[in-house]
Amino acid sequence: MATITIDPVTRLEGHLKIKVSVENGKVVNAWATGTLFRGFETILVNRPPGDAQHITQRICGVCPVSHGMAAAITLDSAFGAAIPENARILRNLVLGANYIQSHILHFYHLAVLDFIDGPPMAPWQPSWNFEKRLTDQTGTLVEHYLKALEMRRKAHEMGALFGGRLPHPPAYIPGGFTTTPRPERISKFKSDLSQLIAFIRDFYLPDVKTLASAYPEYRSIGKGHGHLLAYGVFDLNSSGTLKELGRGRLMNGSNTVESVDVNAITEQVSYSWYADNTNNLNPSSGSTVPKYPKGKGYSWLKAPRYQGAPCEVGPLARMMVNGSYTGAISVMDRHLARADEALKIAQAMLHWIDQINAGGAVYARHTVPTSATSFGLTEAPRGALGHWLKISNGKISRYQVITPTCWNASPRDSSGKRGPIEEALIGTPVQNIDEPIEVLRVIHSFDPCLSCAVHVMRPGEDAKIFALGHDHGEEREHSRAAREEGHFHGVSET
Amino acid sequence: MNVTRREFLKLCGVSAVAMGLSATDLVRLEDLLASPNGPTVIWLQGSACTGCSVSFLNRISASAPQTAAEVLTDSINLIYHPNLMALAGQDAVEELKKASTNTKFLLAVEGGVPSKFSGSTCWAWNYNGTDVTFLRAVRDLAARAAGILCIGTCASWGGIPGAYPNPTAVKGVKAVTGKTTINIAGCPAHPDWVAWAVVQLILGNSISLDSYGRPRALFDRTVHDRCPRRENEEAETFGIDHLCLEELGCRGPDTKANCPVGGWNGGSNWCCEANAPCIGCTDPKFPFAQLTSQEGSDD
Repeated sequence: MATITIDPVTRLEGHLKIKVSVENGKVVNAWATGTLFRGFETILVNRPPGDAQHITQRICGVCPVSHGMAAAITLDSAFGAAIPENARILRNLVLGANYIQSHILHFYHLAVLDFIDGPPMAPWQPSWNFEKRLTDQTGTLVEHYLKALEMRRKAHEMGALFGGRLPHPPAYIPGGFTTTPRPERISKFKSDLSQLIAFIRDFYLPDVKTLASAYPEYRSIGKGHGHLLAYGVFDLNSSGTLKELGRGRLMNGSNTVESVDVNAITEQVSYSWYADNTNNLNPSSGSTVPKYPKGKGYSWLKAPRYQGAPCEVGPLARMMVNGSYTGAISVMDRHLARADEALKIAQAMLHWIDQINAGGAVYARHTVPTSATSFGLTEAPRGALGHWLKISNGKISRYQVITPTCWNASPRDSSGKRGPIEEALIGTPVQNIDEPIEVLRVIHSFDPCLSCAVHVMRPGEDAKIFALGHDHGEEREHSRAAREEGHFHGVSET
Repeated sequence: MNVTRREFLKLCGVSAVAMGLSATDLVRLEDLLASPNGPTVIWLQGSACTGCSVSFLNRISASAPQTAAEVLTDSINLIYHPNLMALAGQDAVEELKKASTNTKFLLAVEGGVPSKFSGSTCWAWNYNGTDVTFLRAVRDLAARAAGILCIGTCASWGGIPGAYPNPTAVKGVKAVTGKTTINIAGCPAHPDWVAWAVVQLILGNSISLDSYGRPRALFDRTVHDRCPRRENEEAETFGIDHLCLEELGCRGPDTKANCPVGGWNGGSNWCCEANAPCIGCTDPKFPFAQLTSQEGSDD
């Protein structure tokens, strides 16, 4: 049996380390570790509630708009603020623009290099020597890769027309939106959107299908547990009861959509570097007490679970819950569903923009309470996103975030069940343990965003770091920081 | 890429003057453009959100370069970038080690450098079974780099992860290495600012820095100084066009940046033009103790 560590896993957002055990050419075990934490929860405490949208956006520069949206709806709920229709639409349009940007970026600039040769220069060369089946189309795909750079840039230029700037748009505020829907902005947005729809329809979608045809075995690789969860996104009415992509769960590969009860969500920390007495709490009463080293702990990510079940989130979950995608749960199904979703959202945006009331308000004044508790559920391009807020004495007293990649890249939970990515890796064939491209293909299909996943830590003064490093066939555990500081907590060292 | 001097000069036109390229610069460019391997750049990400990389991608174009800046940035040899590169794991790190040992390289750093727990809140990579902290990687590479570019407010001074109470003891690159860095501030950094700095470094031009390490050429005047709304009536509530946003907490008067001149996202818009008060993201103290008013509203 060989054990492989990949650190850094490149072509994703943030810092991820993956370890897999391979036996007889297949992955038999896997561990996903987030290797960066920053402490957003701590930073938000004692700041004015209105800061939430600006600060939480910097959890991630690829999906900041989702955090801006989540913070805005959480604050609206805390303040009892009813936003004008125009604001609802504009918020959706900027979020949609970023979905388009993110999905295009993901397929071309993060994922496709797992299958083809990129342009003949750094950083696309050198690359691993795996079997490249699309050598005939490589020239075309590389051309599309380059065109996609322009398209994702255009998606951001489009989004900035209302968002103010991208990334990190300042336009999302409690009570509505800052930017007005001027006619020239509307017409430029529509013109850009038409070009993006054409690109998705004529290049992106066909390219994903070409890839899926060339690598058909990947329709049966990377399934995982088979549970899908979506909070839903793009509110179509003021109450949020109607959404472009609805809320629901599909468990155990079932076709029956079940409801989502936010109280059923807990975060387990048995294999995470947090105190065991904070295990299995709902985020509204959640607590983050780091503890390292911890015998079984191997990740800074907690393990979000729905009634104890690890759930995959993302475009596949949303589209299947919505009945907009039919297929299996696999590497290729994720890519296909993501491309389908990009087109669906882009086309919906054409309808939304026509509903704007030119000259109508974008902001509604509201009273602001000195104390409140609220939460907001939405979706980032990568999946279900929730913010939980408590205001005391007019300031933030608690802020919790569960991001999509925390669901997907989570470690094992209290019952030892692997997280979605870990489970999806089981059974993956690995031809060359020195160049395990198949492992990257599975990971990348989830479009991981690690900055999101590992954001809410509050390391204590005496926390030590547990580092996992090893050679092939041998596992060695060492605590570097502990060694430097001369403390040992039962960690054996060779 | 291969571009002849004549083609390049044609592309330059006005932009060479605008970029402050002298006759000597243009001669140097000839050698540079003739070389198959452009200057090597190593781009690291630490306590970051990737926003600065996403922002930089917002100026990359597939079509023929429109400006001298694009020609030059197209010519760099970006051998390490975690979001873009083909290789993963130790093989990726080997490329970085090869380049940083054998050639002159420019170090670009995105994200702050945490030093809590000996730097273990951010690992750069695992190499030969050992986890290497970002702190160690930055110090090691900074010592050998021909120049250091801090991309964004986080790499410059810590940024949002470094905000009170700075849970992971994040600092800017200069503070942890003692080396002079060129601080392209911004949250995110504007891609034109980054491109400008890369061009100057490629040409070997010295860049005049202010007391915070920011290029004076980019950060000499306040946002308010050149804001088209400065003479206008002040807004008392959100969502109204053309009004000055000072009453709503705009930090434009205290923030050095040229946002009003070039705008963002290819001139699509910028914060104040979108009726959003400036939050001062190019400032060493960003994000301050608060960015919005106590109640987060205009009351």
